[in-house]
Amino acid sequence: MSGAGEPDSSGSDPSRTRRALSWLRERARNVARIARWEVTKNAGGVDRRTIAVALVALVGMAALAPVVLSQGIALDDGIYRVGVTEDSPYYDAVTADDTFRAQEPDLDALYAKNQEIIISGERVAQYADTTKGRAAVAELRATVERYNDGLMREETNQTAAFPVLVNLTYVSRNVTRVDPPSQLAIVNPDDADGGAGDGGDGTGDDGSGTGDDGTAGDRSGTDGSGGDGTAGDGSGTAEDGSQSGDGTGGDGTTGDGQSGGDSADTDTASGSGGENVGGSNIADRLTGGSASGAPSDISPPFPFRSLVLAFIFVLPLNFIIQAYGSTVLSERINRRGELLLVAPVSRGDIIAGKTLPYFAGAIGVATAITLALQGSVVSVLAIVPLALLFLSATFLGAMFARSFKELTFVTVTITVSLTSYAFVPAIFTEVTPIALISPLTLVVRDLQGQAITLGQFAFSTVPPTLTAVVCFGLGAGLYREEDMFTQRPIPLKVLDSLAGPISKVRHVGVMTAVLLPFVVVAELVVVALLFALGEISIILVLAAVAIVEELAKSLHIYASYAHARFDRGLRRALTLGVASGLGFFVAEKFQLIARLGDLTSRDIGQAQQNDLAVLGADVPLALVAVALLIAPLALHVVTASISALGARRSKSAYVGAISIAIAVHFAYNLTVVSFLVG
Amino acid sequence: MIAARDLRKEYGDFVAVEGSTFEVDEGEVFGIIGPNGAGKTTTLKMLAGLVEPTGGSVSVAGFEAGETEMRRRLGFLPEESPLYEEMTPLSYLDFFADLYDVPGDVAAERIHDTLDRLDLEHRERPLGDMSKGMKRKVAIARSLINDPDVLIYDEPGSGLDPLTTNYIIDFTRELGERGKTIVFSAHNLYHVESICDRVAIMNEGAIVAKGDLDQLQAEHGHTNYHVYTTVEVDGSVRENGRFHRVVESMDAVEATRDAAQSAGGEVVDIRTEESSLEEVFLNVAEDGAERPRESAGAQP
Repeated sequence: MSGAGEPDSSGSDPSRTRRALSWLRERARNVARIARWEVTKNAGGVDRRTIAVALVALVGMAALAPVVLSQGIALDDGIYRVGVTEDSPYYDAVTADDTFRAQEPDLDALYAKNQEIIISGERVAQYADTTKGRAAVAELRATVERYNDGLMREETNQTAAFPVLVNLTYVSRNVTRVDPPSQLAIVNPDDADGGAGDGGDGTGDDGSGTGDDGTAGDRSGTDGSGGDGTAGDGSGTAEDGSQSGDGTGGDGTTGDGQSGGDSADTDTASGSGGENVGGSNIADRLTGGSASGAPSDISPPFPFRSLVLAFIFVLPLNFIIQAYGSTVLSERINRRGELLLVAPVSRGDIIAGKTLPYFAGAIGVATAITLALQGSVVSVLAIVPLALLFLSATFLGAMFARSFKELTFVTVTITVSLTSYAFVPAIFTEVTPIALISPLTLVVRDLQGQAITLGQFAFSTVPPTLTAVVCFGLGAGLYREEDMFTQRPIPLKVLDSLAGPISKVRHVGVMTAVLLPFVVVAELVVVALLFALGEISIILVLAAVAIVEELAKSLHIYASYAHARFDRGLRRALTLGVASGLGFFVAEKFQLIARLGDLTSRDIGQAQQNDLAVLGADVPLALVAVALLIAPLALHVVTASISALGARRSKSAYVGAISIAIAVHFAYNLTVVSFLVG
Repeated sequence: MIAARDLRKEYGDFVAVEGSTFEVDEGEVFGIIGPNGAGKTTTLKMLAGLVEPTGGSVSVAGFEAGETEMRRRLGFLPEESPLYEEMTPLSYLDFFADLYDVPGDVAAERIHDTLDRLDLEHRERPLGDMSKGMKRKVAIARSLINDPDVLIYDEPGSGLDPLTTNYIIDFTRELGERGKTIVFSAHNLYHVESICDRVAIMNEGAIVAKGDLDQLQAEHGHTNYHVYTTVEVDGSVRENGRFHRVVESMDAVEATRDAAQSAGGEVVDIRTEESSLEEVFLNVAEDGAERPRESAGAQP
């Protein structure tokens, strides 16, 4: 214990701590001031009546949304008028369907087009020979078929009613049920392993999960999986996990047998022909978790639930970035932001302050949607990196754009590309683990009551978060008088932002490393978009990877030369190439090590693990080292140097050089893949 | 109060300012004049910490340009008045008072006092609905919101009608008289001459002359002698029954006297006229016209 006046034995410097706290308080105060101003400034530009109307509309939408989602919109209620008497066998079928309005048969009404169908006895006696009349007859036929199926399902002897019966249960490959859903559903994969089990009584020995990718534990509770469903044959999941016997579930992290139970619910509620069944919350109601009925009733599985949930979350972001892009660009129009730059606040304060309201808005909307859909905090946390990514890309785009016309182009590009990145993989949440490249997949999983491991959470959120940081960093580099108010074309602005932080050779390597999150996200998007194309997708992915990586390694070198940062000598060019290649190699391996740490618990890493296993099993250790270290290092250094040699000369020489570098990189990729496959 | 040493600013290959060195004392009004593209605005922006010098150094009120504390002591008025047009003068000034940590009651008093002095009404009207002169007054009020020690004004009367311009120049003069240190640029040399204690003349990025008006006149100006005679002499013009000749030295005056006497007349009046700042400026500009620029690249 140190007395007064004695040196601090802990080594900490109280005055330094005080200064740091003071600095933080100052930053927070400045950011809050600018954020408050950003809100009031923009609010001042909108008529109060408009705000009131917008608020009423929002409240109305918020109130109606759950109702609409749970009950659907019935715009077609009573559009077909059917003349049918109560003693007709069709009467119950007609009245059971809201599409029809039962009336007393009236021939005059039919001629006057006030009635579409007249049923007499057991047959349709007459119908209006109009488009609507024919549609009414077709709809009546379908309604009667559904009605009859329903009656059949009520039969006690189901085998007689449905000699052939198909039950489909859509099962996630990586399902870990969490109950209650309001808890943070991030669980340690170790806890999930074998935790389940008491989901059912239905299966016994053959109930173990048999997912083809074999990381049992967290995906199929081994002991006693399956619920008390009808077939009771346990898990036996197919490769995509989409089909199984009843009562699979078996994921039971919490050991409550929820999955199995749901399946059972589905079965007992079957007869809806794939309509929404089971599930107690709105998210469950968006689509059915299972389907059952005669073969004619079964539709191919479509991840409709994932699509809707992903859409609901990604849509507001697209509106928010429109407003955000406008406010950033408006600072640059007519030099409006100049006076903020001479105020006693930093660039970071200004950018953070201007961004905060839009970020808070995005998270607020996501929180509201999550609450409405009974999701957990995981959904909100997963939206954070996505919101940051959308905002940072918009910020950078708005720093590039010279006019609102260009900004429109920029924001549309961002909307399309980032929505594709976030939305498309999330649709396939239930189909492929590659969907985890998008944070929205976490949201969909969370809303479907599936648990998410910390590894999965990190895998989905770290790349977009780092990319957002890089985007904000590059944009902040342009947030100064000399760049904000100039009217340079977008490509030159891109070069400005890349060359801005570079003044020494080592900066080139650091910049290459910093750009790695971009590379990761871009490559994941490429994989997500191309994986469905079959074998050709491998070639396309390899080519795309080569292009993305070579650009990331060389574009800032070209930008540096364009900004006269370095002399154009041969030795300097080679030095820059080596620095860039080395920076990429180090960052890539660092990222690989981070992934290896979680490989065993993550679907997405399985392929890589298998690849490494192949290498480790069949190839001498020295060769493994060459394959993993020296060869990639040589590749990155050589190709970056090729590009640098072109960049030092001219734009056209750079284009030619990077083309060669891409070709070399592609050949390397092809060789490695051929080796692994062969 | 302000010290600039070997200031240099390059935009790519283009050298906007090179080797500018000057000092401004506390309470002094210092003018920077020069033709378009001379580097005045870039120099002022470097003083304000808005543009980072490529070389050299600037200190303002004891702080390096760009430091937060320096910004707290500075009021900057750019050539344009880029305001947030959806805001009102009061909300706009309130926001900047908040940014500069001015307490609310002090800010309210200062805002109203300054707007009163600037004779600005319609303080709740959106800035977008205001005339250019009114916006300029709001911009000036903003530059004073933190009661700065140093004011950097770039063309404060730019684009305004003569009446408003004179009003703003008078206001600036009043600020100088109240002890503010002001660096001031203008195209209207009469305004500079009327309120500046010292002047620097810039041309093609460099300061080509500086000093008070007397020094500049002595170094770069000249005295014109207006000699009036009763008879015509070589180079004279008839004016109100007399003959008027302008010469530039006393020797020429004596020669004119001799010529008049030879012709049977006499010199009836001699008046002297010092060069105006405008003439000094033109002389300096002409002197420097043939000086080669370091680079002729296009400014980005």
